[in-house]
Amino acid sequence: MTEDELSRIANRLRLDVVETVHDAGDGHPGPCMSIADIMAVLFFDEMKLDASNPRWPERDRFILSKGHACPILYAALARKGYFPVEELKGLRSLGSFLQGHPDMNKIPGVDTVSGSLGNGVAIGLGMVMGCRMQGIDNHVYVIVGDGEEEEGIIWEAAMAAAKYNAGNLIVFADLNNHQSGGKVTELSSLYPVADKWNAFHWHVQEIDGHDIGQIRTAIAEAKKVTDKPSLIACKTLKGKNIPYMEDNNAWHKRVPTDEEVEIAREALRDKI
Amino acid sequence: MLAIQELAREDDKIVIVSPDAVAAARATKFREEFPDRVIEVGIAEQDAVDIAAGLATTGMKPVVVTYAGFLTMRACEMIRTFVAYPGLNVKFIGLNGGMLGGEREGVTHQFYEDVGILRSMPGVKILTPADGQQAYLAARAMMEQDGPCYLRLGSGREPEVFPDGTPFTFGKIREVKNYGDDVAVFASGFIMDRAIAAVEQLHAEGVNGTLVDVSTIKPIDDEGVAAVLGRCGCAVTVEDHNIYGGLGDAVCEVACRLSPCRVLRVGLQDKYPRSGKAAELLDAYGLSVADIVSAAKKAAQK
Repeated sequence: MTEDELSRIANRLRLDVVETVHDAGDGHPGPCMSIADIMAVLFFDEMKLDASNPRWPERDRFILSKGHACPILYAALARKGYFPVEELKGLRSLGSFLQGHPDMNKIPGVDTVSGSLGNGVAIGLGMVMGCRMQGIDNHVYVIVGDGEEEEGIIWEAAMAAAKYNAGNLIVFADLNNHQSGGKVTELSSLYPVADKWNAFHWHVQEIDGHDIGQIRTAIAEAKKVTDKPSLIACKTLKGKNIPYMEDNNAWHKRVPTDEEVEIAREALRDKI
Repeated sequence: MLAIQELAREDDKIVIVSPDAVAAARATKFREEFPDRVIEVGIAEQDAVDIAAGLATTGMKPVVVTYAGFLTMRACEMIRTFVAYPGLNVKFIGLNGGMLGGEREGVTHQFYEDVGILRSMPGVKILTPADGQQAYLAARAMMEQDGPCYLRLGSGREPEVFPDGTPFTFGKIREVKNYGDDVAVFASGFIMDRAIAAVEQLHAEGVNGTLVDVSTIKPIDDEGVAAVLGRCGCAVTVEDHNIYGGLGDAVCEVACRLSPCRVLRVGLQDKYPRSGKAAELLDAYGLSVADIVSAAKKAAQK
């Protein structure tokens, strides 16, 4: 796939999120937009997957550790063919299988429960180990948020992953500098993020999280490092490409109106 | 751990996940035999449970073992959200349960809430064997089941109380002594020797009771417990656990639903003990033989 094609897929997923959250009447659109490009590369270019066989043992695994961004995960799975796109509007409603946060039993294509923040790196490490023990050669990709890195379990997992030379574990840090309560840099002393992962003996790269080329290159570089887990620190914008959402923390959890859906459609018209 | 080690020879998917608990778990022999099947994460219980969850999603059969309280309290949410909720095949072994387990270490290392915490999580089975041989059989039974299960162990210093060859049946109570129907004594765990001594003493004093070993707390043996309650008409429960949350609650719940009668609870009376030698501690904090005897007599009063 070309970078342009992947960029368009990313924007298609962004619009899916706007429409889904609008139709469902609930959801976290802002946090989805900052990872759309990463999601596009992973699901449509990089990962070894089979939509007709969601539990294919040899598959790559994906964990959306910042699970509240599940609208974009569900959109990616739908567009990939795991279930019909029409199902997306059922998000979070009683009659739908699309849970408020990822559920591995109800939703085909979801590899673990997630959403309670911080746990994805540790669970991902368990997946890497389990696959390795059974001779499966694959990769496990995890997306964590920056606010999420305030959780201690992230660092427990970072230590263990380094100890176990988990080279097949590739974590994306979505550094949009926003969390529910405001700017991460104001709420916590987390930054600079990359330095911390370096100190924990990970292989670290810093990229623009909206540059498809940089994302692809970073994944390729991460895969070359087989004796250390990899962290790809992505500078991103919360609400990216949706004009009224960009860098606006009011869109952490908010439902777009009919007009706002139209604005998004118009803004992305030539980019899908 | 011997049971786990034996089963691991037949099933290479069984692995241990240890947050620096190999020594406490007496799993060094397991590690010698299977060095690649002990995942050591250091003092990080939440990490241990999450890693076990990840392993289980790939088809492995992890057993997470550490101190009962650090497992069920430090990693409580991880057990519930990442193992119990999706029903993953992760087993949990909690060491040093109760005052008996922690004893001189003090309250920080004594655990009387673990059964209560896990009882409130849908989907987690709970086993509380009464001695080492029962623990061996319980571990085997646990590994035969699919899905989350918790096995509560002690310090390893507990006495053997049952004769060789005593069976363990998952999900069923077992009658230990039957002198009569004056009162039922439901006991679980490593204080069983005290329950036995109490029932003997009661018998000598003309109060003829039935002693039952409840080694599966969840799912509780409704039918078995209700039948004994129905026969005896009153009961005491005995556990090395807070009186809230554990065996006492479980038996009372059955009584309320199926066979209403008076049930008095012997256990830690909802207060924090302190450091002390096991036997002295139990005597000082509500679990002496005399405590059990007096509760049984009180329950049996018309």
